[in-house]
Amino acid sequence: MSVLMAVVGKDLQLAWRNREGWLSAMAFATIAVLTYSFAFDLATGDVRPLLPGVLWTTFLFAGVFAAGQSFQDEVDDGTFDALLLSPVDPTVIFIGKLVANLIALLIIEFAQLILATILFDVGLLTPQLLGIVLIGTIGYVSLTTLLATMGGHVRGRSVLMPVLALPLLIPLLIGAVRATGASLGLEAGTGPWMLLLMVFAAWSTLAAVLLFPTAVEQ
Amino acid sequence: MENIEYLFAGFAVFWAALFIYLLTLQARLRSLHREIERLEERLAESEGKPAPRSRTVGNASSAASGSAEPSAPPANS
Amino acid sequence: MNALAILLARVYEWRWVVLPPVAGVAMMAMIVGALVAAPREIIEGEVQRLMYLHVPSAVTMYAAFGFTAFASVMFLWKRDMRWDAAARGSAVVGVFLCGMVLATGAIWGKPIWGVYWSWDARLTTTLILFLIYSAYLLARSVAGPLDEQAARFAAIFAIIGVADIPIIQMSVRWWRTLHPQPIVFQTNPALPGEMLIVLLIGFIAIFALATWLISLQTDTERAAQRVSALRAEVDHREIA
Repeated sequence: MSVLMAVVGKDLQLAWRNREGWLSAMAFATIAVLTYSFAFDLATGDVRPLLPGVLWTTFLFAGVFAAGQSFQDEVDDGTFDALLLSPVDPTVIFIGKLVANLIALLIIEFAQLILATILFDVGLLTPQLLGIVLIGTIGYVSLTTLLATMGGHVRGRSVLMPVLALPLLIPLLIGAVRATGASLGLEAGTGPWMLLLMVFAAWSTLAAVLLFPTAVEQ
Repeated sequence: MENIEYLFAGFAVFWAALFIYLLTLQARLRSLHREIERLEERLAESEGKPAPRSRTVGNASSAASGSAEPSAPPANS
Repeated sequence: MNALAILLARVYEWRWVVLPPVAGVAMMAMIVGALVAAPREIIEGEVQRLMYLHVPSAVTMYAAFGFTAFASVMFLWKRDMRWDAAARGSAVVGVFLCGMVLATGAIWGKPIWGVYWSWDARLTTTLILFLIYSAYLLARSVAGPLDEQAARFAAIFAIIGVADIPIIQMSVRWWRTLHPQPIVFQTNPALPGEMLIVLLIGFIAIFALATWLISLQTDTERAAQRVSALRAEVDHREIA
């Protein structure tokens, strides 16, 4: 357990040291929201029907790019290979990376929620919505982190990452958008969508944690 | 016979795609087999040589360009 | 090698003798059945005959992707690149069949629904599958045929993809139904006997065709691996 804490701490430190990558992701997310605002003319009328989609596509794209970027820095430094050679259990290594990515992404998403609340005059900072964002993020961060570690040495990987990750994440997108919409009063119940989100989060985290050791075996 | 043009289109698309796929696959397989033969011959030749090509000091570049042949069909797909 | 392995090896050797004629005959039988022998469907007209292509292709496509996942598991277990070739081979055929399902579905849909694409839950799931396994092939082909690390990653991706299928189906169905829907596509729940027979022939035909194609494609991948290995050896000999 203390090893886990140490690894998480290591990854958080690494994320801080490579914060340009995460700041770029934050900037990307902000620009994406603004781009959507112009593209869909979100300045006028009731934008709530479009907001869940705007938010979650932004989160997913930012997450996919950020995961690839942050891992690339670690590979370039050579520290990742060193870590794999150490006696630390690969599963612990992965969970450490996962938790660090999760925290970084939650910070980015929270910032976007604040931004959208101000821009569109919609109350987005409710506990229910924050809970949906938390579970949804857990759902996608495990697969994007796994795919990022797998794509380490392939050329053209920055474009390939979304192509690989997004189709797998469609159930998550559906559940998250619908649940967010329901919590904003756009549709009947959050029930089935929360179920979908939790099932997906559990499945994706389990699959990623189980498959990571095989992925990095030498 | 209503909607028969759609039926025709559907079957036509299927058969056309199938044939294009088969022809491209056969072409690729043939070119790969030719390449395998060619490479195996080269290997047999170089095994016949008494010693591997040696490089004299200072002539590394000419030896390197001498042993490089015009490149084979590039794609592996 | 035990008796089963020897038997399988024997069967495998005979595949070029057996598969093309079986596939050919079955496909002819399916065409005759679909276009001539099967009764005409009253509501939809002649275009309904596309069912005999569309449905068997869909089922065989799932089998192909399932085989890709199986081959991927075998590859991760045995670390034998031949399983990588088999996984890629059946993925190519699976993507091909997937494209055929989408194309025949759209062509069938146009006169029936009025549009080529209606976001019907099953076709949408098929589209997602098409994207996932196209991405698999793309990512795998960016690396060389003998790149074991890339093969390992591709195998893991294929396994995740196949495991995701039921979740995708469930979520897309909920997405379409827990939401008011303008168009609902009804099929006759009970097909008359003659149609079922032709459909069965269709299954056999497409399945035989797919088996043959997968063998061809896998052999092609193996040939590409051999070329890669030979090139490496030639370079090694001539530079050494």
